[in-house]
Amino acid sequence: MTDVQSGAVARDVGETPAYDCEDCGRQFYTEDLLILHRGVTHPNALDEAERDAYREAYAAEERAIRSFRLRALGILVLLYFGFLFLYVFYAS
Amino acid sequence: MPRDESSRDAAAVRRWTRRVATLALALIGALLLARGVAASNAAVGLSEASRDALAVPRWLYVATGGAAIGASALLAGFVTDRGFVERVHDWRRDLGAGDRIRPIGAGVAALVGLVLFALVVYRGVTGPQLATINFAVVVVFAGGRAGLTMATYAVGNVWPAVNPARTVAERLPNGFVAYPARLGRWPAVAGILLLVWIETTTGVTGTPRTLAAVIAAYGLVTLVGAVLIGGDAWFRNVDPIATFFRFYGRVAPLAWEGGRLRVSLPAMRLVEIDERTESVASDPTIAGDQPAATDGSGTGRERIVTGLSDVAVAVALVWELTFSGFVTTEQGAAVVRRIVDVGLPPILVYAVLFVGGFALFYGAYLAAAHVSVRRVLTTRTPRELAVAFAPPLLVVAAGYHLAHYFAFFLSLSPSLSAVLAAPLSAPTNPIVFTLPAWVSALNIAFVLGGHLVAIWVAHSIAYRLFPSRLQAIRSQYPFVFVMIGYTVASLWLISLPTTTPAFLG
Repeated sequence: MTDVQSGAVARDVGETPAYDCEDCGRQFYTEDLLILHRGVTHPNALDEAERDAYREAYAAEERAIRSFRLRALGILVLLYFGFLFLYVFYAS
Repeated sequence: MPRDESSRDAAAVRRWTRRVATLALALIGALLLARGVAASNAAVGLSEASRDALAVPRWLYVATGGAAIGASALLAGFVTDRGFVERVHDWRRDLGAGDRIRPIGAGVAALVGLVLFALVVYRGVTGPQLATINFAVVVVFAGGRAGLTMATYAVGNVWPAVNPARTVAERLPNGFVAYPARLGRWPAVAGILLLVWIETTTGVTGTPRTLAAVIAAYGLVTLVGAVLIGGDAWFRNVDPIATFFRFYGRVAPLAWEGGRLRVSLPAMRLVEIDERTESVASDPTIAGDQPAATDGSGTGRERIVTGLSDVAVAVALVWELTFSGFVTTEQGAAVVRRIVDVGLPPILVYAVLFVGGFALFYGAYLAAAHVSVRRVLTTRTPRELAVAFAPPLLVVAAGYHLAHYFAFFLSLSPSLSAVLAAPLSAPTNPIVFTLPAWVSALNIAFVLGGHLVAIWVAHSIAYRLFPSRLQAIRSQYPFVFVMIGYTVASLWLISLPTTTPAFLG
């Protein structure tokens, strides 16, 4: 319980997190995060509706991760060729 | 309720300004490095060996190391299967309880510890006052500082069994004063910094008699302290050497967990947070009251980092290696000489460099935790993140230690075995191995390898901390930047020619 309080007061962003986990009391800023948290941390406490919501949130997250992977791949390619050219110019 | 759009826009603008500023700083830093290289025109770490081989400018070599860390952090982000991440760090093999071997081993280790302690003090005073053949210097630095530490993170922590002060203190009546839990591990942080300070500035590495005096004083202080506040509390919170080995020991694959010897993948026991069974409480009084494992190697449940003082220990382990690396390079010695020329006493310069550098490393790490909290939508506090992500620093420290001490240990290992074989007589013909040049190239691999494993450990911890996997990945960025900073500093240091520190002899 101390954990919850320390988590709530330390934010300086203004708005309070409105979604509380009913099993451990941890607070979240969005509903999606709460759903994911309950699915990951308390998988056995979920009811049928929650389980469906978790699946949906997980799939949405999967899509977001796919776009992250694309960007990460782009950066890796840039890094690779950037360094390739640096080595061409500077290593002798 | 989500935060409103305008404040988020303003935050985005701020973030971009900061990014541009950071990039500019990084560019300036790289250019400064490049200028230094143009003047000295030195090749990478292998300067003696590879005169006509491919010569890479030092800034490019350092930047490549930094980029390798950044790229592998991105690559770790590609692993998004929670099940796989869990399997890697949960993997354990049971090696049995060792009921018969353990007490015998502990007895032998305690005896060895006591005998070695007595010999170090005795031979330090009476032995030849020459560092390379004196029993005390060789055993303490080649044996303890290099060899035993390497064994501690590569195999397992035996110091709690060997520790001579512990062996004696446990047989005396002890625990007359309660240890104030709010002090946490800060006394140990101060102790570690103090010992490194003594090591670099007082010449204990060169004069065996001073070393013997320091060791005897340390033994006395430890004994009094352990009797006063009790062995467990003392060696857990105050004793710098026990803390040093306890932290390094957490990286090792072998450990006693719940009375049984278990092997895990190296460094994977550092993933210690589990939300499903405990809360990531950041209350220092709760953390301080956790039962201390009497063997120091930890049970399955005990966490190594529970407060900011533990974070400071981990940072101190990284920093002390960077510092001793810095002052023993020609460039570092030149910097110290230049500052002293202005008219400051050398010891003061070293003190400011030492404490200031530690504060810088520690501050950078804490700042990363603050930035991380601000970047992801979480109710966790910066303190929680700083505590949670500190264990990977120990792998980084182990990598640095290996880079700084592996060659040293190899070349001195004949001396070590010679003095151990005949502790009461000086070796007549001390041998020191001259190592092939590629050994110094291994150092680069050690530094990078430590960071890479640390990135994986941090990735696993982030998956346990955050419900959203993207959040877990994003939370890592600030820490990765700090890691890149540490790597760049360390790679740069090991590529420089070494010398004896200025003014210290």
